[in-house]
Amino acid sequence: MMSGTAFLNICTIFALGVLTISFLLVVVRVLKGPSLPDRILALDMLVAVAIGFIAVLGVRSGFTLYVDVAIALGLVGFLATVAFARFVMSGGVDGNKEEAEKERP
Amino acid sequence: MIDGIGDYLAGVLIVIGALFALTASIGLLRLPDVYTRMHAASKAGTLGSCLMLIALAVHIGEFATTLRALAGVVFFLLTAPISAHLLAKAAYSAGYRMWQGSVSDDLAETATASKKNGPFAADR
Amino acid sequence: MIPFRNELILALVWVAISGSYSVPNLAFGFAIGWVVLFLVREQLQATKAVIRPVALLLLIALFIKELVLSAFKVAKLVLSPRMDIKPGIFAYPLKVDRDFEITLLANLITLTPGTLSVDVSDDRRTLFVHGMDCSDIEQARRDISQGFERRILEAFR
Repeated sequence: MMSGTAFLNICTIFALGVLTISFLLVVVRVLKGPSLPDRILALDMLVAVAIGFIAVLGVRSGFTLYVDVAIALGLVGFLATVAFARFVMSGGVDGNKEEAEKERP
Repeated sequence: MIDGIGDYLAGVLIVIGALFALTASIGLLRLPDVYTRMHAASKAGTLGSCLMLIALAVHIGEFATTLRALAGVVFFLLTAPISAHLLAKAAYSAGYRMWQGSVSDDLAETATASKKNGPFAADR
Repeated sequence: MIPFRNELILALVWVAISGSYSVPNLAFGFAIGWVVLFLVREQLQATKAVIRPVALLLLIALFIKELVLSAFKVAKLVLSPRMDIKPGIFAYPLKVDRDFEITLLANLITLTPGTLSVDVSDDRRTLFVHGMDCSDIEQARRDISQGFERRILEAFR
Protein backbone atom coordinates (compact mmCIF):
# COMPACT_ATOMS: atom_id res chain seq x y z
CA MET A 1 0.00 0.00 0.00
CA MET A 2 1.55 3.26 -1.07
CA SER A 3 1.03 6.53 0.68
CA GLY A 4 -1.64 8.99 -0.40
CA THR A 5 0.89 11.53 -1.60
CA ALA A 6 2.67 9.02 -3.82
CA PHE A 7 -0.66 7.79 -5.22
CA LEU A 8 -1.74 11.37 -5.97
CA ASN A 9 1.61 12.06 -7.62
CA ILE A 10 1.20 9.09 -9.99
CA CYS A 11 -2.41 10.06 -10.72
CA THR A 12 -1.54 13.65 -11.60
CA ILE A 13 1.33 12.61 -13.88
CA PHE A 14 -0.97 10.10 -15.64
CA ALA A 15 -3.69 12.76 -15.96
CA LEU A 16 -1.24 15.28 -17.41
CA GLY A 17 -0.26 12.73 -20.07
CA VAL A 18 -3.89 11.90 -20.91
CA LEU A 19 -4.79 15.60 -21.06
CA THR A 20 -1.85 16.28 -23.38
CA ILE A 21 -3.07 13.57 -25.77
CA SER A 22 -6.61 14.93 -25.74
CA PHE A 23 -5.29 18.46 -26.26
CA LEU A 24 -3.45 17.29 -29.38
CA LEU A 25 -6.52 15.43 -30.66
CA VAL A 26 -8.65 18.57 -30.28
CA VAL A 27 -5.98 20.63 -32.06
CA VAL A 28 -6.23 18.16 -34.96
CA ARG A 29 -9.97 18.90 -35.11
CA VAL A 30 -9.31 22.66 -35.05
CA LEU A 31 -6.93 22.31 -38.00
CA LYS A 32 -9.11 19.88 -39.97
CA GLY A 33 -12.33 21.80 -39.58
CA PRO A 34 -14.05 21.25 -42.00
CA SER A 35 -16.56 23.98 -41.15
CA LEU A 36 -16.46 27.03 -38.90
CA PRO A 37 -18.81 25.60 -36.20
CA ASP A 38 -16.52 22.57 -35.94
CA ARG A 39 -13.59 24.83 -35.19
CA ILE A 40 -15.56 26.88 -32.68
CA LEU A 41 -16.65 23.69 -30.94
CA ALA A 42 -13.08 22.45 -30.86
CA LEU A 43 -11.91 25.77 -29.36
CA ASP A 44 -14.60 25.40 -26.70
CA MET A 45 -13.29 21.92 -25.98
CA LEU A 46 -9.73 23.27 -25.82
CA VAL A 47 -10.84 25.60 -23.03
CA ALA A 48 -12.37 22.64 -21.16
CA VAL A 49 -9.13 20.67 -21.49
CA ALA A 50 -7.12 23.72 -20.40
CA ILE A 51 -9.31 24.02 -17.29
CA GLY A 52 -8.51 20.38 -16.59
CA PHE A 53 -4.79 21.15 -16.95
CA ILE A 54 -5.10 24.07 -14.54
CA ALA A 55 -6.96 21.93 -11.99
CA VAL A 56 -4.30 19.20 -12.15
CA LEU A 57 -1.50 21.76 -11.85
CA GLY A 58 -3.35 23.28 -8.89
CA VAL A 59 -3.45 19.87 -7.20
CA ARG A 60 0.25 19.30 -7.88
CA SER A 61 1.43 22.70 -6.67
CA GLY A 62 -1.17 23.37 -3.99
CA PHE A 63 -1.64 27.01 -4.98
CA THR A 64 -5.22 28.11 -4.30
CA LEU A 65 -4.85 30.84 -6.90
CA TYR A 66 -5.39 28.24 -9.66
CA VAL A 67 -9.07 28.05 -8.75
CA ASP A 68 -9.54 31.68 -9.78
CA VAL A 69 -7.55 31.11 -12.95
CA ALA A 70 -9.82 28.19 -13.87
CA ILE A 71 -12.99 30.18 -13.24
CA ALA A 72 -11.71 33.18 -15.21
CA LEU A 73 -10.68 30.95 -18.13
CA GLY A 74 -14.09 29.27 -18.09
CA LEU A 75 -15.77 32.67 -18.24
CA VAL A 76 -13.60 33.87 -21.12
CA GLY A 77 -14.16 30.60 -23.01
CA PHE A 78 -17.91 30.82 -22.58
CA LEU A 79 -18.02 34.43 -23.77
CA ALA A 80 -15.81 33.59 -26.75
CA THR A 81 -18.08 30.71 -27.77
CA VAL A 82 -21.19 32.87 -27.43
CA ALA A 83 -19.59 35.65 -29.48
CA PHE A 84 -18.54 33.17 -32.20
CA ALA A 85 -22.00 31.62 -32.25
CA ARG A 86 -23.62 35.03 -32.68
CA PHE A 87 -21.19 35.75 -35.49
CA VAL A 88 -22.19 32.52 -37.25
CA MET A 89 -25.87 33.27 -36.63
CA SER A 90 -25.71 36.84 -37.87
CA GLY A 91 -24.77 35.58 -41.30
CA GLY A 92 -21.03 36.12 -41.08
CA VAL A 93 -20.61 32.92 -43.08
CA ASP A 94 -22.95 31.02 -45.33
CA GLY A 95 -23.08 27.36 -44.44
CA ASN A 96 -24.56 26.42 -47.78
CA LYS A 97 -21.67 27.95 -49.66
CA GLU A 98 -19.01 26.65 -47.33
CA GLU A 99 -19.33 23.13 -48.59
CA ALA A 100 -18.75 20.89 -45.63
CA GLU A 101 -16.94 17.86 -46.86
CA LYS A 102 -18.79 14.72 -45.95
CA GLU A 103 -16.70 12.17 -44.19
CA ARG A 104 -17.70 8.85 -42.82
CA PRO A 105 -16.46 7.85 -39.37
CA MET B 1 -9.68 16.24 6.44
CA ILE B 2 -8.27 12.83 7.35
CA ASP B 3 -4.78 12.45 5.98
CA GLY B 4 -4.56 10.29 2.92
CA ILE B 5 -8.23 9.73 2.10
CA GLY B 6 -8.49 13.14 0.50
CA ASP B 7 -5.43 12.39 -1.59
CA TYR B 8 -6.82 9.06 -2.81
CA LEU B 9 -10.19 10.64 -3.63
CA ALA B 10 -8.56 13.53 -5.49
CA GLY B 11 -6.32 11.14 -7.43
CA VAL B 12 -9.21 8.94 -8.53
CA LEU B 13 -11.32 11.97 -9.51
CA ILE B 14 -8.45 13.43 -11.53
CA VAL B 15 -7.86 10.20 -13.44
CA ILE B 16 -11.59 9.74 -14.22
CA GLY B 17 -11.89 13.38 -15.26
CA ALA B 18 -8.86 13.17 -17.54
CA LEU B 19 -10.23 9.99 -19.16
CA PHE B 20 -13.57 11.72 -19.81
CA ALA B 21 -11.72 14.63 -21.42
CA LEU B 22 -9.89 12.11 -23.59
CA THR B 23 -13.11 10.37 -24.70
CA ALA B 24 -14.62 13.76 -25.48
CA SER B 25 -11.71 14.65 -27.74
CA ILE B 26 -11.76 11.23 -29.41
CA GLY B 27 -15.46 11.79 -30.02
CA LEU B 28 -14.69 15.20 -31.46
CA LEU B 29 -12.43 13.50 -33.97
CA ARG B 30 -14.50 10.44 -34.82
CA LEU B 31 -18.11 11.63 -34.96
CA PRO B 32 -19.45 12.53 -38.39
CA ASP B 33 -20.95 16.03 -38.13
CA VAL B 34 -20.91 19.14 -35.98
CA TYR B 35 -24.16 18.28 -34.16
CA THR B 36 -23.05 14.85 -33.04
CA ARG B 37 -19.64 16.23 -32.05
CA MET B 38 -21.46 18.68 -29.83
CA HIS B 39 -22.83 15.75 -27.85
CA ALA B 40 -19.32 14.56 -27.04
CA ALA B 41 -17.97 17.99 -26.18
CA SER B 42 -20.90 19.20 -24.11
CA LYS B 43 -21.31 16.09 -21.97
CA ALA B 44 -18.06 14.21 -21.55
CA GLY B 45 -15.97 17.40 -21.78
CA THR B 46 -17.99 19.26 -19.15
CA LEU B 47 -18.05 16.31 -16.77
CA GLY B 48 -14.30 15.87 -17.23
CA SER B 49 -13.34 19.41 -16.30
CA CYS B 50 -15.94 19.49 -13.49
CA LEU B 51 -14.51 16.30 -11.94
CA MET B 52 -10.99 17.72 -12.05
CA LEU B 53 -12.17 20.97 -10.39
CA ILE B 54 -13.92 18.90 -7.69
CA ALA B 55 -10.64 17.06 -7.19
CA LEU B 56 -8.92 20.43 -6.73
CA ALA B 57 -11.60 21.42 -4.19
CA VAL B 58 -11.14 18.13 -2.29
CA HIS B 59 -7.36 18.41 -2.32
CA ILE B 60 -7.15 21.98 -1.06
CA GLY B 61 -9.79 21.28 1.59
CA GLU B 62 -10.00 24.86 2.81
CA PHE B 63 -13.50 26.24 3.19
CA ALA B 64 -13.24 29.47 1.16
CA THR B 65 -11.34 27.84 -1.72
CA THR B 66 -13.54 24.74 -1.81
CA LEU B 67 -16.62 26.94 -1.99
CA ARG B 68 -15.06 28.86 -4.86
CA ALA B 69 -14.15 25.71 -6.75
CA LEU B 70 -17.68 24.35 -6.31
CA ALA B 71 -19.08 27.68 -7.53
CA GLY B 72 -16.86 27.17 -10.58
CA VAL B 73 -18.33 23.70 -11.11
CA VAL B 74 -21.89 25.05 -10.96
CA PHE B 75 -20.85 27.80 -13.34
CA PHE B 76 -19.50 25.31 -15.91
CA LEU B 77 -22.61 23.16 -15.61
CA LEU B 78 -24.71 26.26 -16.32
CA THR B 79 -22.69 27.62 -19.23
CA ALA B 80 -21.82 24.42 -21.12
CA PRO B 81 -25.38 23.64 -22.30
CA ILE B 82 -25.98 27.30 -23.17
CA SER B 83 -22.96 27.53 -25.44
CA ALA B 84 -23.70 24.12 -27.02
CA HIS B 85 -27.32 25.11 -27.61
CA LEU B 86 -26.41 28.50 -29.08
CA LEU B 87 -23.77 27.00 -31.34
CA ALA B 88 -26.15 24.28 -32.58
CA LYS B 89 -28.82 26.87 -33.29
CA ALA B 90 -26.32 29.14 -35.05
CA ALA B 91 -24.92 26.30 -37.15
CA TYR B 92 -28.40 25.17 -38.14
CA SER B 93 -29.68 28.62 -39.03
CA ALA B 94 -26.50 29.37 -41.02
CA GLY B 95 -27.33 26.33 -43.11
CA TYR B 96 -24.78 23.74 -42.06
CA ARG B 97 -26.32 20.44 -42.97
CA MET B 98 -26.48 17.36 -40.85
CA TRP B 99 -24.64 14.16 -41.62
CA GLN B 100 -26.30 12.22 -44.45
CA GLY B 101 -26.90 9.27 -42.12
CA SER B 102 -29.30 11.38 -40.06
CA VAL B 103 -32.75 9.83 -39.91
CA SER B 104 -35.12 12.68 -39.13
CA ASP B 105 -35.26 16.46 -39.30
CA ASP B 106 -38.40 18.01 -37.86
CA LEU B 107 -36.81 21.44 -37.87
CA ALA B 108 -36.48 21.56 -41.66
CA GLU B 109 -39.93 22.98 -42.38
CA THR B 110 -39.79 25.66 -39.68
CA ALA B 111 -36.20 26.66 -40.41
CA THR B 112 -37.11 28.33 -43.68
CA ALA B 113 -39.73 30.41 -41.90
CA SER B 114 -37.33 31.63 -39.24
CA LYS B 115 -34.67 32.43 -41.81
CA LYS B 116 -37.04 34.79 -43.54
CA ASN B 117 -37.45 36.82 -40.35
CA GLY B 118 -33.72 36.84 -39.81
CA PRO B 119 -31.80 35.54 -36.84
CA PHE B 120 -32.90 36.65 -33.37
CA ALA B 121 -36.36 37.50 -34.68
CA ALA B 122 -37.75 35.89 -31.55
CA ASP B 123 -35.48 37.88 -29.23
CA ARG B 124 -36.62 41.27 -30.26
CA MET C 1 -41.43 37.99 -0.63
CA ILE C 2 -38.09 39.37 0.49
CA PRO C 3 -37.25 42.74 -1.09
CA PHE C 4 -34.12 42.69 -3.29
CA ARG C 5 -34.07 38.89 -3.13
CA ASN C 6 -32.25 38.46 -6.45
CA GLU C 7 -29.72 41.17 -5.57
CA LEU C 8 -29.05 39.41 -2.27
CA ILE C 9 -28.50 36.05 -3.97
CA LEU C 10 -26.06 37.63 -6.43
CA ALA C 11 -24.27 39.39 -3.54
CA LEU C 12 -23.86 36.09 -1.67
CA VAL C 13 -22.50 34.40 -4.81
CA TRP C 14 -20.10 37.32 -5.25
CA VAL C 15 -18.85 36.96 -1.68
CA ALA C 16 -18.41 33.20 -2.13
CA ILE C 17 -16.45 33.57 -5.35
CA SER C 18 -14.29 36.55 -4.39
CA GLY C 19 -13.43 34.73 -1.17
CA SER C 20 -13.33 37.65 1.23
CA TYR C 21 -16.08 37.53 3.83
CA SER C 22 -16.59 41.11 4.94
CA VAL C 23 -19.46 43.57 5.06
CA PRO C 24 -17.93 46.04 2.55
CA ASN C 25 -17.42 43.20 0.08
CA LEU C 26 -21.03 42.09 0.55
CA ALA C 27 -22.18 45.67 -0.06
CA PHE C 28 -19.99 45.85 -3.16
CA GLY C 29 -21.48 42.59 -4.45
CA PHE C 30 -24.96 43.92 -3.75
CA ALA C 31 -24.19 47.08 -5.75
CA ILE C 32 -22.87 45.07 -8.71
CA GLY C 33 -25.89 42.76 -8.51
CA TRP C 34 -28.21 45.76 -8.56
CA VAL C 35 -26.48 47.22 -11.64
CA VAL C 36 -26.61 43.86 -13.44
CA LEU C 37 -30.27 43.32 -12.68
CA PHE C 38 -30.97 46.91 -13.72
CA LEU C 39 -29.32 46.25 -17.09
CA VAL C 40 -31.39 43.13 -17.78
CA ARG C 41 -34.64 44.36 -16.18
CA GLU C 42 -36.52 44.26 -19.48
CA GLN C 43 -35.73 40.59 -20.11
CA LEU C 44 -36.81 39.58 -16.62
CA GLN C 45 -40.44 38.96 -16.13
CA ALA C 46 -41.98 38.67 -12.71
CA THR C 47 -42.49 35.01 -11.98
CA LYS C 48 -44.60 33.83 -9.12
CA ALA C 49 -43.04 30.41 -8.97
CA VAL C 50 -43.54 28.26 -5.94
CA ILE C 51 -40.40 26.32 -5.21
CA ARG C 52 -40.80 22.96 -3.55
CA PRO C 53 -37.46 22.14 -1.93
CA VAL C 54 -37.86 18.35 -1.83
CA ALA C 55 -38.93 18.12 -5.44
CA LEU C 56 -36.10 20.49 -6.40
CA LEU C 57 -33.57 18.23 -4.66
CA LEU C 58 -35.02 15.23 -6.50
CA LEU C 59 -34.60 17.16 -9.77
CA ILE C 60 -30.96 17.92 -8.94
CA ALA C 61 -30.32 14.29 -7.99
CA LEU C 62 -31.90 13.07 -11.23
CA PHE C 63 -29.79 15.58 -13.14
CA ILE C 64 -26.49 14.42 -11.64
CA LYS C 65 -27.40 10.77 -12.26
CA GLU C 66 -28.31 11.47 -15.88
CA LEU C 67 -25.18 13.58 -16.46
CA VAL C 68 -22.89 10.77 -15.30
CA LEU C 69 -24.89 8.20 -17.30
CA SER C 70 -24.76 10.35 -20.41
CA ALA C 71 -21.00 10.85 -20.18
CA PHE C 72 -20.56 7.07 -19.90
CA LYS C 73 -22.90 6.56 -22.85
CA VAL C 74 -20.96 9.00 -25.00
CA ALA C 75 -17.71 7.35 -23.93
CA LYS C 76 -19.00 3.89 -24.82
CA LEU C 77 -20.28 5.08 -28.18
CA VAL C 78 -17.08 6.91 -29.06
CA LEU C 79 -14.81 4.05 -28.09
CA SER C 80 -16.75 1.31 -29.85
CA PRO C 81 -14.92 0.36 -33.05
CA ARG C 82 -17.97 0.44 -35.30
CA MET C 83 -20.03 3.53 -34.51
CA ASP C 84 -23.67 2.74 -35.06
CA ILE C 85 -25.60 5.97 -34.73
CA LYS C 86 -28.81 7.32 -36.19
CA PRO C 87 -28.71 11.04 -35.41
CA GLY C 88 -31.55 13.38 -36.20
CA ILE C 89 -33.65 16.29 -35.01
CA PHE C 90 -37.08 15.62 -33.55
CA ALA C 91 -39.78 17.98 -32.33
CA TYR C 92 -40.81 17.75 -28.70
CA PRO C 93 -44.18 19.22 -27.65
CA LEU C 94 -43.67 21.24 -24.47
CA LYS C 95 -45.98 20.96 -21.50
CA VAL C 96 -44.14 23.63 -19.51
CA ASP C 97 -44.95 27.12 -20.73
CA ARG C 98 -43.03 29.65 -18.64
CA ASP C 99 -39.75 30.96 -20.01
CA PHE C 100 -37.54 29.90 -17.13
CA GLU C 101 -39.02 26.41 -17.13
CA ILE C 102 -38.35 26.06 -20.86
CA THR C 103 -34.79 27.32 -20.35
CA LEU C 104 -34.23 24.88 -17.51
CA LEU C 105 -35.68 21.97 -19.47
CA ALA C 106 -33.59 22.81 -22.54
CA ASN C 107 -30.40 22.99 -20.49
CA LEU C 108 -31.16 19.75 -18.67
CA ILE C 109 -31.92 18.01 -21.97
CA THR C 110 -28.59 19.16 -23.38
CA LEU C 111 -26.69 17.52 -20.53
CA THR C 112 -28.51 14.19 -20.66
CA PRO C 113 -27.92 11.03 -22.69
CA GLY C 114 -28.00 11.42 -26.43
CA THR C 115 -30.07 14.59 -26.63
CA LEU C 116 -29.17 18.21 -27.33
CA SER C 117 -31.71 21.00 -27.63
CA VAL C 118 -31.26 23.02 -30.80
CA ASP C 119 -34.12 25.46 -31.02
CA VAL C 120 -37.48 26.44 -29.60
CA SER C 121 -40.34 27.45 -31.86
CA ASP C 122 -41.49 31.06 -31.88
CA ASP C 123 -44.71 30.25 -30.06
CA ARG C 124 -42.73 28.46 -27.33
CA ARG C 125 -44.67 25.23 -27.61
CA THR C 126 -42.20 23.01 -29.43
CA LEU C 127 -38.63 22.22 -28.57
CA PHE C 128 -36.38 20.91 -31.32
CA VAL C 129 -34.02 18.31 -29.96
CA HIS C 130 -31.05 16.75 -31.72
CA GLY C 131 -30.85 13.12 -30.73
CA MET C 132 -27.89 10.80 -31.08
CA ASP C 133 -30.19 7.81 -31.51
CA CYS C 134 -33.39 8.59 -33.38
CA SER C 135 -34.39 5.01 -34.11
CA ASP C 136 -37.24 5.32 -31.61
CA ILE C 137 -38.42 8.93 -31.42
CA GLU C 138 -41.54 8.11 -29.40
CA GLN C 139 -39.41 6.49 -26.72
CA ALA C 140 -37.11 9.54 -26.58
CA ARG C 141 -40.13 11.86 -26.19
CA ARG C 142 -41.53 9.67 -23.45
CA ASP C 143 -38.19 9.70 -21.60
CA ILE C 144 -38.13 13.50 -21.51
CA SER C 145 -41.74 13.92 -20.44
CA GLN C 146 -41.56 11.18 -17.79
CA GLY C 147 -38.18 12.33 -16.50
CA PHE C 148 -37.22 15.98 -16.43
CA GLU C 149 -40.46 17.64 -17.45
CA ARG C 150 -42.44 15.82 -14.77
CA ARG C 151 -39.85 16.71 -12.13
CA ILE C 152 -39.78 20.36 -13.23
CA LEU C 153 -43.54 20.55 -13.01
CA GLU C 154 -43.38 18.98 -9.55
CA ALA C 155 -40.68 21.38 -8.37
CA PHE C 156 -42.15 24.66 -9.55
CA ARG C 157 -45.93 24.24 -9.58
